[in-house]
Amino acid sequence: MNYRRFIIYQGSIGMASSMIFPFYVLLLKNVGHSYSQFGWAYGLFALTAAVSYPIIGKLADKTGDKVLLISYAWGMALILLIFPLAFEIWHVYILQVVMGLLGAVQKNSEKTVLARTVQKETAGKEIGHYHIWTSVSAAIAIIGTGYLVDFLTIGSIFYLASAVFAWSGFYIMKREE
Amino acid sequence: MYKYRYFAVFLYVLIFIGSIHFFQIQLSNPIIEDHGRLLPVKMKAIKSSDDEDELRKIIREAKKNADPISISGMQHSQGGQTLYPNGILLDMKSYNNILKLDKEKKLITVQSGVTWADIQSYINPYGLALKVSQSQNIFTVGGSLSVNVHGRDIAYTSLIESVESFRLLNAEGNIMHVSRQENPALFQLVIGGYGLFGVILDVTLQLTDDELYQIRTTSLTFDEYSAYFKTKVLQGEAVKMHLARISVAPESFLTEMYTTDYYMADDQGQLELNSTLKRESLIAIPKFFLGLSRLNGWGKNLLWKTQEAYNHRIDDSYISRNNVMRSESTFMEYENVNKTEVLQEYFVPIDQFTSYIDDLRKTLEQEENFNLLNITVRYVKKNEEAVMSYAKEDMFGLVMLINQGSSKESIDESGRIIRKMIDITLDHDGSYYLPYYHFPTEVQLEEAYPRTEEFFNMKKEYDPDGRFKNLFYEEYHK
Repeated sequence: MNYRRFIIYQGSIGMASSMIFPFYVLLLKNVGHSYSQFGWAYGLFALTAAVSYPIIGKLADKTGDKVLLISYAWGMALILLIFPLAFEIWHVYILQVVMGLLGAVQKNSEKTVLARTVQKETAGKEIGHYHIWTSVSAAIAIIGTGYLVDFLTIGSIFYLASAVFAWSGFYIMKREE
Repeated sequence: MYKYRYFAVFLYVLIFIGSIHFFQIQLSNPIIEDHGRLLPVKMKAIKSSDDEDELRKIIREAKKNADPISISGMQHSQGGQTLYPNGILLDMKSYNNILKLDKEKKLITVQSGVTWADIQSYINPYGLALKVSQSQNIFTVGGSLSVNVHGRDIAYTSLIESVESFRLLNAEGNIMHVSRQENPALFQLVIGGYGLFGVILDVTLQLTDDELYQIRTTSLTFDEYSAYFKTKVLQGEAVKMHLARISVAPESFLTEMYTTDYYMADDQGQLELNSTLKRESLIAIPKFFLGLSRLNGWGKNLLWKTQEAYNHRIDDSYISRNNVMRSESTFMEYENVNKTEVLQEYFVPIDQFTSYIDDLRKTLEQEENFNLLNITVRYVKKNEEAVMSYAKEDMFGLVMLINQGSSKESIDESGRIIRKMIDITLDHDGSYYLPYYHFPTEVQLEEAYPRTEEFFNMKKEYDPDGRFKNLFYEEYHK
């Protein structure tokens, strides 16, 4: 895995997910009717992740991290195309389960790539450096999207984020030099 | 893996286009619900504008395409008065400028999408106040006119009394001036006309001076109430506004009451100190108690005792007229998916109140599952100016808040009990308020509103193509 490419990939998917996560509550609000439904939507997300970590962990060692990163990016790109179409609370629940699974794939792979790449002695510095760039892109995305929501509808934010995920998936699929 | 990446992009673009396509279809067929969420209706489109010519265009366009139009404000009516399947929802909320204030004559002209809260903020600095508004101020002027609301003031009770004139955009897309002198027939039809005669554009309302009131609270039993009201409120010259509550708690069900009177304070010099418009304060506590009272009888007993104790604590305190007319409502917002809260209002002549409550209690005691949360009582003076007038005599209006399920069985069950209550009301020469769910039968409607047939006939005369439609019209016209 090309480390520089990994950082760019992390930056762009970080940007895409920061675009939707804070504002995604706005969509839930249009679909759901109560706080308990909010709770369930997020709870299902966390629960699915918890259940799927053991399998994902094993898979990472078998197939390699790259396959998992690719499936995360493309998976998110597709699921975000379904989100704007959801109009019943159970649609949201199903989407949350899938997102929980994908989220777990991403979290795990991000760490395995780092673990396989960084030197033990300079791990602190390297991971710190890595976090600078992913955090900067997340910050830009959140602030930028705040303005975008004023001009675009919440639906178009999902489409935009989906396109960024698709680009990330495409980018990480490139041939290793 | 890299071989597949262009294929992946191609597939993705296809799905992307498909998703946007479906999203567009969904957007163009919005499902709309009113505030009670009992009547989701698929409509063709939502349109709104802050421009008169645009509004005329929308009407003419609808005429050309033979589309029905439902006009909406805040959509707190619960009988689909703002909804019609496959119709155009004309949302008036953005038509909301305050046009003119005549301080000398105490007249204000506003566009119909303005809320009462907007008007209050505008006129409060001039020491002026509304003559009539609901207790809550979140509604639009146009919506309130269409249901001819009433409030706490005991001198001006129905909104129609404070309306000077308005302009109406009719079914042909033409603008008409309507007042007691010009087109007087329309004046009596449009106010309380549920949006069936045209779009109310701008309205001129009479104002009055802001005043300083003091609060007097009294606890009494239901059989003392009519006499109390006549001697202490109507004849007590200083009383300007009045509100009462009757208990729905099992321990004192429909027997205990307490009243809140607002009388003219002796020292009007204090007005300035009390004239700042209050904002919605912390609502956690009332929301919590109301939540408990939804659960069971214990919660209802607790709420009643707390309310009564709180009420006595505000005895003698000062409050400006404008502040009495902006009561809190967000604590009543209710967000359960499977249940909703519906309102009913019954009007009964003052002298019949005691026997009416006795009959109502007898009926409701048999309905154990009927979750009645609150009843407030207000006074409405006889006023038969509007064709669909509810105030056939000097009456008390009892507003009931009912918690019910949104399944078909729960709706049917509420309907059965509500029709029974309406029968009792009609037996006591009463009437009921129309902005709520279409539980009442046609026979009940005609008995409560003797001019119903005339109302619907006039509707056909002014709007022969049926441009303005809603579910209330659909349900009851012949």
